[in-house]
Amino acid sequence: MRFPAEIAARMTRTLLLMAVAAAGTILLVRFAPGFFSDPREMDAKYAAAARAEMWADSSQRSIASIAVQTVSGWRRGDFGESRQFGVPVSELVRARIRVSALLLAEGLGAGWLFALCAAVPVSAMRRGQALCGLPFTILLAIPTAAMATACILSEQGGPVLVFSLVIAAREFKFLRALLESAWSAPHVLWGRAQGMPVLTLMRFHIVPNAAPRLFPLVTLSIVTALGVLVPIEVMFTVPGIGQLAWAALMNRDLPVLVATSLLMASAVGVAGVFSTGARALEDA
Amino acid sequence: MKVRISFVLLLLLLASAALTLRFMPFDYASQDRTATMAAASAEHPAGTDALGRDRVVRVSAALLIGIGGAVGAAGITTMIAAAFGLLAAFSPAPAAALLLFVSDAFLSVPWLFLLMIARSLLPLTASPLATAVTTFLVLAFLGWPAFGRAVYGGTRSMLSAEWMIQGRATGLRDGQLIRLHLLPHLSSFLVPQFLICVPAFIVAEANLGALGLGVGEPMPSWGGMLLELENSAMIARSHWVYLPIALLVVVLLILESFTTEVKSHA
Repeated sequence: MRFPAEIAARMTRTLLLMAVAAAGTILLVRFAPGFFSDPREMDAKYAAAARAEMWADSSQRSIASIAVQTVSGWRRGDFGESRQFGVPVSELVRARIRVSALLLAEGLGAGWLFALCAAVPVSAMRRGQALCGLPFTILLAIPTAAMATACILSEQGGPVLVFSLVIAAREFKFLRALLESAWSAPHVLWGRAQGMPVLTLMRFHIVPNAAPRLFPLVTLSIVTALGVLVPIEVMFTVPGIGQLAWAALMNRDLPVLVATSLLMASAVGVAGVFSTGARALEDA
Repeated sequence: MKVRISFVLLLLLLASAALTLRFMPFDYASQDRTATMAAASAEHPAGTDALGRDRVVRVSAALLIGIGGAVGAAGITTMIAAAFGLLAAFSPAPAAALLLFVSDAFLSVPWLFLLMIARSLLPLTASPLATAVTTFLVLAFLGWPAFGRAVYGGTRSMLSAEWMIQGRATGLRDGQLIRLHLLPHLSSFLVPQFLICVPAFIVAEANLGALGLGVGEPMPSWGGMLLELENSAMIARSHWVYLPIALLVVVLLILESFTTEVKSHA
């Protein structure tokens, strides 16, 4: 009974937070400089007509009318029409969501594999941990944009590599701490003292103890990955959601921006629900 | 010991940056059009950029602006988080729930994405100083939610401590309890959080700057200087173009060592 209730509460909270995220985006964009500009103004041929049209539309520029338009777009299922591209937002998002999802999945998978492969042996070491962890500390100190630039310049790697390095650098630190605490548990120390093989210890003690605590880390990983999606997609010109959000930001394309913010908020929310569900199942 | 070495290194870096700005015959914006993309020379020890601006001077200025801005922003974030956490902890349950919902609303969108939205929707064509202030203020005002929640959790757990109950029993008011008891106890928690924020803000500024959303030209910043790396002609001419990123990594490693040390003592 507790498990479905917790999931339902979390889902309701996520939906409310998504509504707040959408409202916040509308407010920010509505008051952003350049929101009222129209590219047709630059063309003398259209300037007068565009200005007259904008003047006529001015009644529809209030926050309430923007909110109504946004909600009616959601109800139609197309999320409104893109101001920049003149097509339904759902079309734009549908074409890009697969690209971003694939990139995220590959980056997260490779990053976690990389972090686990490094953290497991380093956590079992008795000396030289700091030295072995140094590459990850250095990676943590390099901004994502600099990593992407380095990849582009050296013509080595690509967005997946940068994603995986960002994730690995961040998760290695947490994984190492988690595994270190598992290795220093009294029963594991006793097992080591008895000469139990490392693989047996890993299988029966370390992995079962550490696994439930990995779920919140996965959630954090997803949030980190979503955060770096924009710079990576922009710098590598990957036609995904991050690049779409970037173009929408630069062009004050409100319907697209609201849709991408909602996507981001829902991804974070779903990751949170996943983490809560895993914890509730474990408690049960 | 390690933290002392890091501290001395950081002070040396800051002092040398300040001395460079004081004694070099150029400022960060002055251009030498006869020496654009120049290699290292006696006049320009680390060469010049595409506009003939001295790289050592610009890196020195970026170091001071980056660290100064990040420290200031981290200070503001710490204050906001402390105020938020204390306010929520001392509020009645419905008000506390509402405040926590507000912090969750900020956390519902990834931080870097939120930063980009907020920064790009603020004026980009302002004076360089205004863009620098705006960038660091955006970092400060969006950096507090997770930290504020942690302060709230810490304060809630302290409210039931014996020394708090005794403080209440002796007639201390909420303000006095906060000033005399809670803040001194929370400092062991606030200081590491502040130290975590400083490198995080430096990296965030660098990421924003690399997308053209950071500090405006000609004021130098880590992010702005990373953009130089996109100029392949410049890279072919001089390896000094890597100086900003190398120095940034060194500074972040020094700051990371502070954080590790303080966290281990907390």
